[in-house]
Amino acid sequence: MKKTNRTGSRLIMALVFIFLYAPIFLLIIFSFNAGDSSAVWKGFSLSWYGSLFKNRIIMESVYTTLLVSILATIIATVAGTFAAIGLYSLSRRWRDPLLTVNNIPMMNADIVTGVGLCLFFAAFFRFWGSFAVWFNSIQEVITLPTRLHLGFTTLLLAHIAFNIPYVILNVAPKLRQMDKNLVDAAKDLGCTWFMAFRKVILPEIKPGIVSGALIAFTMSIDDFVISYFTAGSSTSTLAMTIYGMTKKRITPEINAISTLLFVVVLVLLVIVNVKEAQQEKKAKRPVAVIAAEEVRKADRAEFFKARPWIKRTVTAVIVCAIGLSIISLSRATYGQPVVNVCSWGEYIDPELITMFEEQTGIRVNYQTAESNEALYSLLKSGGGDYDVIVPSDYMVARLIEEDMLEELDYSNIPNFELIDRRFRNLSYDPENKYTVPYAWGTVGIIYNTSLVEDEVHDFSVLYDEKYAGDVLLINNSRDAIGIALKHLGYSMNTTNEDEIREAYQLLVDATEKGVYQGKVMDEIYQKMEGGNAAISTYYAGDYLTMLENNEDLAFVVPERGSNWFVDSMCILKDSPHKAEAEAWINFIASTEASLMNMDYIWYASPNSEALEQYPEYYYELYEEELDPEIYNIMVAPAETLERCELYVNLPADILALYKELWIQLGI
Amino acid sequence: MSKELIRLKNVSVAFEDAVILDNLNIYFNDKEFLTLLGPSGCGKTTTLRIIGGFLTPTSGDVLFDGVRINDVPPHKRQVNTVFQKYALFPHLNVFENVAFGLRIPKTDENGKKVKIPEKEITERVMEMLEVVNLKGFEKRSITSLSGGQQQRVAIARALVNRPKVLLLDEPLGALDMRLRKDMQNELKRIQQAMEITFIYVTHDQEEALAMSDTVVVMDGGKIQQIGTPEDIYNEPKNAFVADFIGESNILDGIMHEDYVVEFFNRKFKCLDKGFAPMEPVDVVIRPEDIDIVAPEKGQLRGTVTSVTFKGVHYDTIVDFKGYKWLIQTTDYHAEGSVIGIILNPDDIHIMKKSEYSGMFGDYSSYSEEYDEIGDASVELDEEESEDEE
Repeated sequence: MKKTNRTGSRLIMALVFIFLYAPIFLLIIFSFNAGDSSAVWKGFSLSWYGSLFKNRIIMESVYTTLLVSILATIIATVAGTFAAIGLYSLSRRWRDPLLTVNNIPMMNADIVTGVGLCLFFAAFFRFWGSFAVWFNSIQEVITLPTRLHLGFTTLLLAHIAFNIPYVILNVAPKLRQMDKNLVDAAKDLGCTWFMAFRKVILPEIKPGIVSGALIAFTMSIDDFVISYFTAGSSTSTLAMTIYGMTKKRITPEINAISTLLFVVVLVLLVIVNVKEAQQEKKAKRPVAVIAAEEVRKADRAEFFKARPWIKRTVTAVIVCAIGLSIISLSRATYGQPVVNVCSWGEYIDPELITMFEEQTGIRVNYQTAESNEALYSLLKSGGGDYDVIVPSDYMVARLIEEDMLEELDYSNIPNFELIDRRFRNLSYDPENKYTVPYAWGTVGIIYNTSLVEDEVHDFSVLYDEKYAGDVLLINNSRDAIGIALKHLGYSMNTTNEDEIREAYQLLVDATEKGVYQGKVMDEIYQKMEGGNAAISTYYAGDYLTMLENNEDLAFVVPERGSNWFVDSMCILKDSPHKAEAEAWINFIASTEASLMNMDYIWYASPNSEALEQYPEYYYELYEEELDPEIYNIMVAPAETLERCELYVNLPADILALYKELWIQLGI
Repeated sequence: MSKELIRLKNVSVAFEDAVILDNLNIYFNDKEFLTLLGPSGCGKTTTLRIIGGFLTPTSGDVLFDGVRINDVPPHKRQVNTVFQKYALFPHLNVFENVAFGLRIPKTDENGKKVKIPEKEITERVMEMLEVVNLKGFEKRSITSLSGGQQQRVAIARALVNRPKVLLLDEPLGALDMRLRKDMQNELKRIQQAMEITFIYVTHDQEEALAMSDTVVVMDGGKIQQIGTPEDIYNEPKNAFVADFIGESNILDGIMHEDYVVEFFNRKFKCLDKGFAPMEPVDVVIRPEDIDIVAPEKGQLRGTVTSVTFKGVHYDTIVDFKGYKWLIQTTDYHAEGSVIGIILNPDDIHIMKKSEYSGMFGDYSSYSEEYDEIGDASVELDEEESEDEE
């Protein structure tokens, strides 16, 4: 009886550990996957680690993360240590409640801390703004900046703030253990308070300070939530970058960087634990053993003491290394022309950023947004001090309507001449004053030929009971309802409420029949590649990426037509880096950049030369012919585009209706 | 031997409402071994901390060689301290602990920082380790030493700075009985060898009597008596001192005239004089001074109510007409037996009545009295440490 109990609890323990560690092992294994899928193993390779170090965006956020973590750890450790000493100079009546107060921020939800800090900074910036205006108006010697943004400084302050409690928590017990008379004894022997601190208190509480610093560093390195709220739009930590990258899909690059992050944190924790274990072990050893060891230790210490240059050289080298790296990092950040770009995840060949920077000396600060709507609300809320954004057609129209875009000086963008006529003067920017197209494509049906027997011609499969549980509904009201409208033969941009309701009813019926497995966006990749779903609707470029991992997938643009889209580069009103932004746009519009980008993201470029040259470029690169079918999917031929519609910006009441219906639909 | 070194003038210390030291006046001579003796909370540690410079008196002056040093910080006083529980630096080995004070640069008369050369430091440390019998332990860490060895390191660490005065705050409190006895001799030897002033704080009266040139008995923030160990023992000034130093039977008496005292309705000859006629007094009779004789030969007659074997002697409680006395005798007298006692004039010591009269010296509830003292000292201990924070 007892034995079965034990077996049972051991089994549960084993399951718990499997559950805890299996995801991490899976992630580590797939970081060595030769293919780019997270579901299919294609052999061992270190290529993702290689491309990681070439990825400008990732490396930059690694620098930011390290810089913030190191600075925050140093400052928080100093501040926390003195705060702890201050706490212990108080009487017990005050100390104990204050220690409890110190613990609360650690237990507090990160999101609360993050939002709180964000609000605090916003309030301070408002106060600073009015103060700076007043200050600048009363004198002319110093001009204070009136607008402050969230950025590196606020990120650093936030990290310092949340690290201090951890330092105090680790230092406090060491102070409690310390004999109170030690400080008096040091003073008695001739020390001032500060000398006593340096010679006695510091060595006594050093283990606490070190473990506090290590924990603070660990916390800093893997913090996401608080950073997210305090870093602003132009600074990105590693965790934030990883999050940004997962928007699209989990690439093995993310697996690789996550693996490295896991290893770093693991190593730090192991160091902390081993140190503690050593201390405990030391306390348990017999006196004679300790004594012998101490004599050896003292001899060693004497060796170094007789040669002070060893210690000095090592210290100097470390200080220089830290100093130089901080300087080189900050040099990379300040005093250089810069352009702030906000695009979508996995939507550029990172090589292009490096090339542009090398050619022009302009630093590219590359960020990503989640969706057009997210970008819009970010811009509206005053966040996002970007120069270049890449919104889709209907969003461009909306931004122009709201006077948020800057007119471009096309004489600075000679490569605009290379943009195919088809993609100029489109409905969203009829006079083509604001935009240079970035990429375009169609929305179609992706289906798994091994699971779907019928030929698929139109969207009817999305509403067919036959495929119950196998269909993925795109998690975006505009696309889902728009496709239904198209299927019913209406315009995707209709403002007729009845038509919209009819399309909505189509979705409701299908939902009731259990057709949809779920509403998904980026999970489409895993589900379709892994064969977990049979049918979905998505973008042509993404289909081609999926095809690399699952050859059974097919793509079709329905005969009754579908949606096509153009994402365009625009410059935000009052951008302080207009010249740099135009240089960037011109660079991206070039034929060379367009070819590289097409090959990397599988979305069609609007550059007519690039469109023409791509099959040749592909042949030179991979030494095999590009399947014309694939080319036609990426670069939809004119007859396909004719069936398709661009989205236009809908009036507010229709948008509200979309929103309302979408919420009602549930799933 | 009798040059005055330190003087506390009208020194008082108060924390919030509690008065710790009440208008203390005392001086310390050069090269003497002086002990501040008293129960926990009596103010002895506070007095030591004032001399060490860790505490500034609320009022009054601290004079060192005639110079007021109230505001001189500890590191500028020619005084070193051996702390309770030693306060050794655990991160340093024995050598470095002792060398600690020597490594601190001192400021000379011209305001220049002076460092002691490494060679001299080594010499002085080794010399001091020899004095405290710790040669060969230089490289050992503090945590691997026994209590007695740690004690010696603490003493060496303080003495290596060649202070004029060494303050010792209950330095033997954490040691066991046997080690304590050894260290008492050791301390006395070191004090004589170094020829400096030791100011020693303890609540252990035996320790105080064994080591000191001068004993200062304190209670309630006041000095109760100053004197040589013999004076303090033989001529206690009041019931508190009589009771705190050794065991005492204390009775109410009336001084009829010089050399004649009455108690138990009987007149006894004594060696004391100078009291007013018929003045009520406290009579002290030490338990070991009482001679037991056959009942019919005794001046007083009583019944043995309890006997406890103590090794050298028996603690015998005897009931005299309802008053219980403690008598220490090498002869065994069974419980219930009737005995007589004889008091010689030099066995009787007369004290003036004081605030302590009637509080001590009655053995009616012998064992319970021990308990009470134990409890009281624990309570006071806590209060004291809380106040010092």
